[in-house]
Formats: sequence, structure tokens, C-alpha cells
Amino acid sequence: MAFTYSKLAETTVGSGGTTSIAFNNIPQNYTDLVIKFSGRNSSGTLYVDDLKVAINSNANTASYTQRNLYGSASTTASSSNTNLGTFAVFGLNGTSTTANTFSNTEIYIPNYASSNAKSISVDAAVENNSGTINLSSLALIAGLFNVTAISQIVLSSYNNYGFAQYSTATLYGIRVEL
Amino acid sequence: MSITRLTTNGLTGTKYDIASADNYYMEPIATTLLASTTATITFSNIPQGYKHLQIRWIARSDRTVSPDYLKLNFNGDTGANYSWHYLIGAGSSALASSSVSASFAINRAVAGAAQAASVFGTGIADILDYSNVYKYKTARTLGGYDNNGDGEISLQSGLWMNTAAVTTITITPGAGTLISANSRFSLYGIRG
Repeated sequence: MAFTYSKLAETTVGSGGTTSIAFNNIPQNYTDLVIKFSGRNSSGTLYVDDLKVAINSNANTASYTQRNLYGSASTTASSSNTNLGTFAVFGLNGTSTTANTFSNTEIYIPNYASSNAKSISVDAAVENNSGTINLSSLALIAGLFNVTAISQIVLSSYNNYGFAQYSTATLYGIRVEL
Repeated sequence: MSITRLTTNGLTGTKYDIASADNYYMEPIATTLLASTTATITFSNIPQGYKHLQIRWIARSDRTVSPDYLKLNFNGDTGANYSWHYLIGAGSSALASSSVSASFAINRAVAGAAQAASVFGTGIADILDYSNVYKYKTARTLGGYDNNGDGEISLQSGLWMNTAAVTTITITPGAGTLISANSRFSLYGIRG
């Protein structure tokens, strides 16, 4: 039973969409953070996009590294990124995917208030009533944010398509009971 | 928010955790622990006051030829209104597959009768915005089992192409006919 699973902030995108969702001034008195994200990008063209996860307004390419395991249709792949200056999470539903369908993503950040490097895990799903490669995806990502305590997280569409109405992001804090 | 629950610690006396009561964001809704085999698990009359749902389980079925999977249906809908995808690792390779216009969502990695006795699969499924009437519902599940020689880890998703709020979840064995005794399914609500 997670007595200390507490909501810290929640955003629901309204009519007209938005370019990003920001969690600012994240309190430092929890042990771990969890973000549950249900999103769709606003592209008017036929794109699935990635979810961009930027921390502390830090765009230094040396600050972010990640390993990816990816599946789409009947294909699988593993890759790494070392120079993005952000985390990139495979998959954000877009116009090319089934209507009314939003990605389902969880981002877990243990020891986020530590001054040590932060390990991050992500599992993400882009559903779509299609077996076409790259129009659906499942991804497991392990990331490393190699700088200071996390006080801000900004989510956006990697190619700046924005988030569609009804996209939601909820930030939870988990506190260890000592 | 008013205080809804207090905790006790039987060894050291009563412990009133006001902060926990005020931040009680993940709550158990229902649990089924099977005393005997059963064909169907149903969570009905799911309350609509949460932001997200989470199902946690350990499960085994009577499928004899290989490990099993679970079928997930919402609100009694067994029409061709689902799609699913999975990504699995079985020890030496990764595999992905999908199905469209299916009659159920899928959750892999359930041990079957081909696995050693007492080996169960385990999984956690998140259904975000389950009561949002503008969204189709997507379940994301991380699961797996290990049988000391075979096993798999899986990430999977299931889409229910309906905007209705989820009020009922039905779970049935994929290729087997019965879910084994001592399987347990727990439904949680996560507040927003």
C-alpha cells in the first residue's frame, strides 16, 4: 500500500491544445517522482512524434543519455542516444493514428532530489488500430540525467507539434516511510 | 480533503499518520484471490472518482502446451473494437507482434500448466483517464514470468476503441479455459 503516493500537480490540455506541459518548482521532500502521461500531438499532418522530456531547462547534450528497447508491429530494435540535450520517448499519438487515441506513458525518477546522477526509467505505449510499422510503438527506456537535483520537468512534442486537447499529465511524489 | 483513513502499527501502538490520510492517492478498489479455478475475473461497478486505474496480478492458467496470456475486455464489449501490441524478451531475443480489430486486449506472460507448479506470471496494467469520455482507452502492461529455464518479460498495450467510461473490466484466460487457484487480481484507483 503506497501511503505516500501523492499527487503533486496535474495538467489537462484544453481547447486549442498547448505547446508544452511544465512542472515547475517541484518540491524536494519526496524520494521518487512518477509522471503518468496520456497524450496526443497536434500535428495536422500524418505524424507520430516523440515525447520530449526536458529537465531543469538544461539542454546540454552531455547531461542526457539513454538506452532504448523498441517494438513496432513485428519489428524490434535497441538503440542509444547521447547527444539530444533532452530525453526522447518513442511515441506520441498523432493524426496518423486512430482517432481519440492517446499514448500511455509512465516516467519513473528515483532519488530525483539527489545531487548525484539520476537514473530514469520509462515505459511507453502508442496504440493504434494498425499493424503498420512505426504507427504504433512500445518502448522501454533507461536514461541518465547527469546533473543536479530535479526541480523542473517540461514535456513537449519533440518536433514541436504541441499537445492536443484532452492530453493529460499527472506528477506524483513517492515518499519512503522511514 | 477530509481524513478518510488512519493507520495502526500493532507492535508499537497506534500510529496516526495524518499526512498519509491527507495524501491517499492510490487506493485498493477490489481484490480477487482465487480459492479454486475460475473462468472469468470481473471488476464491476468501478467507481468513477479516480484519475487512473491500475490492475496488479499474479496468475496462472490451465493451458498445457505453452504459457498463456490474459484477455482484457471493457464494459462487456467483445466486439472487434480492440487492438493490441506486444514486445517481449524470452531470454535470447526480442519479439514484437500486434493484432488489429481484435475482440480483446491482451496481457501476455501468464504461466500455464506447461510451467512448473507454483510458477505464476505477474503483471501491472495502467489504464489512464479511464473515465474520460473523449478518449479511447489504452492499457499499458508490464509483465513477466520465469520458470528456471524458460520465461519472458513483456511490455504490451491494448486499445479499446470506445470513449465510454470504463465501468467493468473482465479478465479471461487467453488460450486456456481456467485461471488457476491462488491467482490474485487487485484493482487500484489512483487519484488525480
